[in-house]
Amino acid sequence: MSESTKTEEKGLPRIKPATDIVETDDGFYIYMDMPGVSKETLIIDLNEDEIKVSGRTSYPSPEGEKLIHVEFGNGEFYRGFTLSHIVDKSQIKGTLKNGVLELHLPKAEKAQPRKIDIQMG
Amino acid sequence: MVIDFSPFFGQQTPLDRIFEAFWSPGMSISQRPYAYPPVNISEDMDHITVRCEIPGMDISEIDLTLTESSLVIKGEREGAKGKYYRQERPTGAFQRIVNIHAPIDRDRVSARMKDGLLEVAIPKSEASKPKKISIDIA
Repeated sequence: MSESTKTEEKGLPRIKPATDIVETDDGFYIYMDMPGVSKETLIIDLNEDEIKVSGRTSYPSPEGEKLIHVEFGNGEFYRGFTLSHIVDKSQIKGTLKNGVLELHLPKAEKAQPRKIDIQMG
Repeated sequence: MVIDFSPFFGQQTPLDRIFEAFWSPGMSISQRPYAYPPVNISEDMDHITVRCEIPGMDISEIDLTLTESSLVIKGEREGAKGKYYRQERPTGAFQRIVNIHAPIDRDRVSARMKDGLLEVAIPKSEASKPKKISIDIA
């Protein structure tokens, strides 16, 4: 039983999720389209400068239903990114909503632009 | 894909995509693999089920219309504001029409959404179901 599920998992096609990377005033945002992935199967790994996101869809094979037209199916999402050193790694936050993963990567304090006061001598 | 030929697993070159299009059986079933959003249609005894992958949208933002012989799925995806370094996710208005050539029970159509997967259940009308007729032998 466990062996058969193992091979089934292996057979899942690997999908590179469509990703947007956006910079705003409060840091970077990474948005990834991962439809069908629930919070339980989503894995976000942060190792040094690398962040790896993976998740698996779990659409149940409908019992007694006849498939007429198929354009998508189960798959395994996987994508990795290298983080810039200006990202504050301890403050990374992830939210999964409606099949979109949003990662917020705030900039480290020292990378934020600041005004320099000039003293007149 | 059975064997991964590319040195970087997960990386996709245009050549990979062509190769995969020939290889995977899913592509031969679907006539238009690049229409958005992707739709799966299935049926059982009582229902026709339309499943659709629309990530990032709430069910309230999706416009579902049932016309005489089709189901129209409409909506608009909005992008985030800011400076883009990379943009791969589709944005803007989309529409997909699913033709239904079967008598359906229009009043009992239901839709739900979970994790970016839209599921529309269209019950078949009573008249279209196969019926058993008892024949009296005189």
